[in-house]
Parts: sequence; structure tokens; C-alpha cells
Amino acid sequence: MSVERSRLPDEIKHWYGDMICDYTYTLGIAGEKFFTGLKEGRILGTRCPRCGAVWVPPSIYCPDCFEELTEWVEVPDEGIVFSFTIAHAGPDGKPLQEPEIYAFILLDGADGGLLHKLGEVRPEEVYIGMRVKAVWAPEAERKGAITDIRYFKPVE
Amino acid sequence: MERRVAVIGVGWSGFAPQTADVSYKELMFEAATRAYDDAGVDPRRDVDSFITCAEDYWEGFSIFDEFVPDQLGAVLKPTCTVSGDGLHGLVNAVMQIESGLFDVVVVEAHSKASDILTYEGLLKFAMDPIFTRPLGWHPYALAGLEMARYLYDTGNTEEHCAMVVEKNRRNALANSLASYAADLTADDVMDSRPLFEPLKELDVAGLADGCVVMVLAAEEVAEKLADKPVWVLGMGWANETISPELRDWCRPVYAEIAADMAYAMAGIKNPAKEIDLLEVDDRFSYKELQHVEALGVCDYGEASRLLEDGVFDRDGDLPVNPSGGSLGVGNLLEASGLFRAMEVVLQLRGEAGRRQVQDVEVGVAQSWRGLPTASGAVVIFGSEKEVKKP
Repeated sequence: MSVERSRLPDEIKHWYGDMICDYTYTLGIAGEKFFTGLKEGRILGTRCPRCGAVWVPPSIYCPDCFEELTEWVEVPDEGIVFSFTIAHAGPDGKPLQEPEIYAFILLDGADGGLLHKLGEVRPEEVYIGMRVKAVWAPEAERKGAITDIRYFKPVE
Repeated sequence: MERRVAVIGVGWSGFAPQTADVSYKELMFEAATRAYDDAGVDPRRDVDSFITCAEDYWEGFSIFDEFVPDQLGAVLKPTCTVSGDGLHGLVNAVMQIESGLFDVVVVEAHSKASDILTYEGLLKFAMDPIFTRPLGWHPYALAGLEMARYLYDTGNTEEHCAMVVEKNRRNALANSLASYAADLTADDVMDSRPLFEPLKELDVAGLADGCVVMVLAAEEVAEKLADKPVWVLGMGWANETISPELRDWCRPVYAEIAADMAYAMAGIKNPAKEIDLLEVDDRFSYKELQHVEALGVCDYGEASRLLEDGVFDRDGDLPVNPSGGSLGVGNLLEASGLFRAMEVVLQLRGEAGRRQVQDVEVGVAQSWRGLPTASGAVVIFGSEKEVKKP
């Protein structure tokens, strides 16, 4: 081949490097409104005047029409499990001690919804189409973050 | 197409889970040397322009495009980087030739995945920083979620996904480039460790290092230089929204749009009849079924029946991933699409060795950019300049 190749493990060397990459991520107009809403225990979306879609997560533009969106609507903190997965591995790929249930929750009245954990339910009880409701962190502990919702739980 | 374009040379290096003895530059140099030899070109004299496909974070460099000219023979020549999959780069190479700007263009993509010590960390960085990352999920959870909904909507099953793994890893036994060839069964896949149910450990393609380089040329040059030019008959690409919350969770619409665009260009009306061979993204087993359906070979939910009937086997009516796919060959990151294109080229030239598919004239390569994206490209290749009408 075109390249002389070493087959001696001791000859093979690496240099270790790391990248220090810290950022702030600007919430923006839509983000500020949405996360302020979460702090108040409300889920907000934007409605498109042209196609009528209510987008959650919201943006100030319609991904379908490219219309500028200025109308905000509150949607219920309830919806259905559109899809779910039983997670056995954590963010680093290492096994979780207890499996967790992750879901995409399609919110009532919204074209979209939220990715979040399910709680107060066993994996074998969950099904696509199951009605669920947000369980909020106590008001004093909310920070204006997606984790202000602790998880979604089945509606009794 | 106004000005026909052909692939006149392909080269590779790797593919292996580990290429500790060479740097990424040497991987590229080795693949480029093979490709230029195959095409019969001297890069310093004959190649007009170079396109590489790379993403800074995979490489561990800022402004990675500055690090590529030397090892390709591209110093002091038009060079650019497409921050995307290799097929996106190929599409741009074709356009540079079609526009009349250049006659010979080189496209390159590679993976040096074994240099990445924090693969999960990089993938996590690709997810929305405000809505998704704070949940603390491994990015593959998104594949588990999509797989669950796709199976629910189509009636395809986990067992069918396991059959895809069996087919592809067995196909890979006949591919000397494949890192993950194995004589395993669908039962082994079903019994493998659950990751993000229904996704299991063996449903996921393992990482591999490797590089693919391709030389493309305008018709008049291609016919002079190549014994077996492989013609680009059509191409397309599309992006869906990056927000999983707003997407279609069953249909990979990006692949439908890309395929429709490519079929229109190639004059293909009935993909199942007019295509002889498919190489589609299968970095998660269910993606193969999803992509085959998106490419219009059959309706949604029907790929499982065709799979059961052996239609997608190497000796079936429409072989899918005879190379072994990413499941068999390995996940080559941004080189995944270009590796598929290379397999199609080798098949159409009749140079695929023990995995050669018989009577192939039209082959399709399809790419997906991987999690958490919903984007990709489709390129149609032919051993003849036009698709023969059935």
C-alpha cells in the first residue's frame, strides 16, 4: 500500500487533547416567554395565523409557512404518550440502576409537545395513547427550565 | 442532466474499529492514492477542485477544512468543506461539474471515530441545549422513541428489525472491508442487551474508522479516462425540522423528498422495478426498513413482508445493503453515505467480488445524517447513461 504501516503496538503513540467549550445559549424571544411560562406553571405555544398550527416548543416563525408568529396561547399540561422508550443506559452509555421511561408527549391542542420522563407508572403499564399530565416542581423551586416539570404521570 | 457526470475512480482506507497506526491525514492520503490510481489522474495536474465532508466536533479541530488540502494533493487549488455527509459532498461535486466550472472534481469523507474519547458527549452536543439536553438523556434514546412509534404505526416488528441485522451482518461476511461481519441470527439480536427499548444493543451499528475518496468527471473526460464510468443519473436532498417535537415520527420525510427529486431527474417512475440495488442508511436497524419504504419501493408497513420473502437478500429481487450496510461494515460517521455510494459504484462496475449482485445497471445510495437529524441525500447511479425503460 501507499503507506508504511506499523504493526508494533509499542511504536503507536497518541497525544491527548481536550477542548474547553463552555457556552451560554440565548433563550431568545420565544424561549424567554416559554420558560417564564414554565416558572408560572403554564405551557405556552405560538399560533400561526396562516395555517392555524399551535407550535410547542414555540418559535417566533412558523416552520411550515415561515409566517412571523406573535400570538401566544396557553395549552393544557395534559396530553397523550405519542411514543415511549424504556431507557437502560444513562447519558454516558453506562447502565442505569433502575430503568427510566422517556416519552414524547403530544400535548392537547398543540401541534407538537414535549420530550420528558414519565413517572408514577411502571414500564409494563405504559402504552402509546396513554393520557398523561405534568407533575410540576414546587413553585419556589422552579427556575424557568424544562426540568420545572418533574415528569408526566398517568391521568387517573 | 445538461452535462453528464460520472464517477471515474474510487479509493478507500480503513475500514476498522481502530486505525491506531495512521493519522486521519494518512488515512485520507491512502484513500486518495487509491482513488487517483483507479481513475488514472494526477491530482496536482488533472483535478480542478476538491470537496471534503467533515464536522469540526468529530475531528476535534476548529475550522477543520483548513487541515485537508495537503493530504489530497489540493494545495493551492479550489477546496471547500461541506459540513455534512459524504453524499452531500458528492452532490456538490456533481453541480460544480454540471455548471461547467470544472471538469474533474474530487470528493472525500472520513471517520476517525477511534480518536474520539467522548462520543456520547459529542452526540449530546447535537441535541437542543435548552429543551433536550437538560433532560440528561443519551441521544440514542431518540432512536428508541422513533423506533417505537414507527413500529406502532407500520405494524413492522422488533423481530423484523432483528432480521435486518442478521441479513446485513451476514452480507458483510463477503465484504473484506467490513468490521462487524458476523454469522449471527435474529434471535441473537432479540436476546441482546436492551438499551432504549425497543432498541437493543445489536440494533445499533458499531463505530469504525475509514476514508472514502471519489473522482468525478464530465462526460468527455470520463469517457477518455475510464473503462467503466458510472453515471450519476439523479440526486436529491432535504432537511426536515431539527425539532423532534414537530416532526413526522413514522415517515422519514427527508428521504421521501430526496428520492422524489432524484427519481424525477433520472426519469424513474417505478422504483421497485427500475432499481436493481439499494444501499440505505441502517445505523439503527429500523432505519433500513423506514428508508426502503421512504424510497417508494413499497408502502409503509410492507418492507417487513418483502424482507421475510427474501426480496432484500443479496440474491433477491431488490438487494438492500449487499455491502453489509453500516451494521456490518461499521458506522463511518460522515463517510457513511460515500461508502454506500462506493459500494454502488463497485457493484455497477462488476467489481464487488464475492458479494457481486447479478445484472445490475441502476443502483441507489441514500444517506441520513444521523441523530438527532432528519436530513439526508439520495443519489442514483447507472452503468449506462440513462435508465432503461421496462
